[in-house]
Amino acid sequence: MPLREQRDVEEIERVLNHVLNTASPPVARCRLLSTGFNPGHALNITEDIAGHKECIGCGNCVDACPFLFREPSRYEKTEQRTSMALESIVGADCDLCDACVLACPQVDTTIKNYVVQHRMIEVMSRLEQRIGDEDEPDLDLFTEEAIG
Amino acid sequence: MDFDIPEELKMVQSMVRDFTTEQLKPLERIVLGRAADLSDTQMYLPLEKEQELMGMARGMGLWGVNVPEELGGVGLNVLGNCLVEEELAQTVVPFGFGDVTPILFDCNERQREAYFSPVLNREKNAYLALMEPDKEGFEGMEMKAEKMNGGYVLNGKKLSLSRAGEDYFAAVFAVTDSARGPREGMTCFLVDKGTSGFAVSGTETITGWQARERRPMSLVFDQCRVAAGNVLGEEGKALHLGNKWLPSRRIVRSARCVGAAQRILDESTIEAQTWTSFGQFISGRPSVRAALADIATNIHAARLMVYETAWKADQGESIRREAAMLKLFATQMIHSVADNAAHIFNAPSYVGGLPMERFCRNALAMSSTEFALQLQRNIIARDILKGLKV
Repeated sequence: MPLREQRDVEEIERVLNHVLNTASPPVARCRLLSTGFNPGHALNITEDIAGHKECIGCGNCVDACPFLFREPSRYEKTEQRTSMALESIVGADCDLCDACVLACPQVDTTIKNYVVQHRMIEVMSRLEQRIGDEDEPDLDLFTEEAIG
Repeated sequence: MDFDIPEELKMVQSMVRDFTTEQLKPLERIVLGRAADLSDTQMYLPLEKEQELMGMARGMGLWGVNVPEELGGVGLNVLGNCLVEEELAQTVVPFGFGDVTPILFDCNERQREAYFSPVLNREKNAYLALMEPDKEGFEGMEMKAEKMNGGYVLNGKKLSLSRAGEDYFAAVFAVTDSARGPREGMTCFLVDKGTSGFAVSGTETITGWQARERRPMSLVFDQCRVAAGNVLGEEGKALHLGNKWLPSRRIVRSARCVGAAQRILDESTIEAQTWTSFGQFISGRPSVRAALADIATNIHAARLMVYETAWKADQGESIRREAAMLKLFATQMIHSVADNAAHIFNAPSYVGGLPMERFCRNALAMSSTEFALQLQRNIIARDILKGLKV
């Protein structure tokens, strides 16, 4: 079965950028901007859920979040693994790394492609900052000393 | 092209191998706890045992392998250090031949007496205080040091993963000139135990299952006064400390991955030759044989990279890119070795008590995040894009 047409990012670019710039995990809002379940889903149910955009609670976004990895005590605030739980336990402390968006099975590939092509470049500038030029000290060597 | 290890280094390698086999490996059960009951695991060896081993290492003339001779160490070259680390990584017993962080190599005469020598002799522990709670990297570091009456006043919080001990001092990285950024505006201070305004928490001994976890100590500085003589190196140059030695540490850490992988291969071989299923040894099964072959190939490649890069470093060549490649490859190598070992042990590699879990945990401590590897990829790519030939 051919894939149903996914969201054209040009239509939503402004609002998508607004979402991605807001200091809060963007996964849930990106999911709502997506087209929802494909008619060709493989779930063993009779109900027609094509187009539904609910969080399926897979927890991928919670596992992908680097902020929670650094501050595991926040996991204890809830047992839920939904995008709403992620938003409430991370909130404004979000790193804006967009890892949750890429991890979510309910976000359209078109949106993920946009994130990779237009947003991930920011990660590279952080890397550049950490490394510096040839003659400058490699700051990561100090981190390695502190951890090793 | 000469692939021979120099005779004197071969001797060091064989001495360390014997030491590891005869002295350290028999202690693995004490460190891991009884196989069936992990509740008495200990993170470190008992103090008396450690002193005894230290004496032996001194007797062998191998205490302080990475420390330059003028600082009282053995001053082995990078290749020598790699060979030693590779052997030591083959056991889970936490014992090193007087390893001291090169950050402290820049101590002046007085600091050498008061701080460096006691650390080398394990009379004092150096708490490396670099990381801050909720902070990643060096940008936005909050710990401040202000000049006052010829000294400095430190304020802020730090985390340290160094080993806790009775007598200690902290090597604290603090911002002295926020306008100049971390590279030129950060200074390292040596702060003695008991200095007023300096408090350490989180050093209490953890027993039982929890002992397997490493938790950072918390160092709090509240109006802590430090004399100007306690600045390590120059003011504002904290991130230039040890820059002669630090890059080669990356090679030595990769040698640790090679050693750990070698032990996993040894354990996997024994498992394959002794475990039977459906009436035959599993070593006869194609998938197990393939896993063993893949492990061995990976180790061989990583080992050659380690030796070649170490040789280059000893020739005084720049090894920035090679060391980055090595860290990238060695980290991926140990992951893949652990995966393959899982085929042989018929269990996921993270199951507690299996060798791959223990060895990988030790080897991967500093490079387990994708971001760390991405940094290495970026160093390599930058060099390629500059037009340098690989």
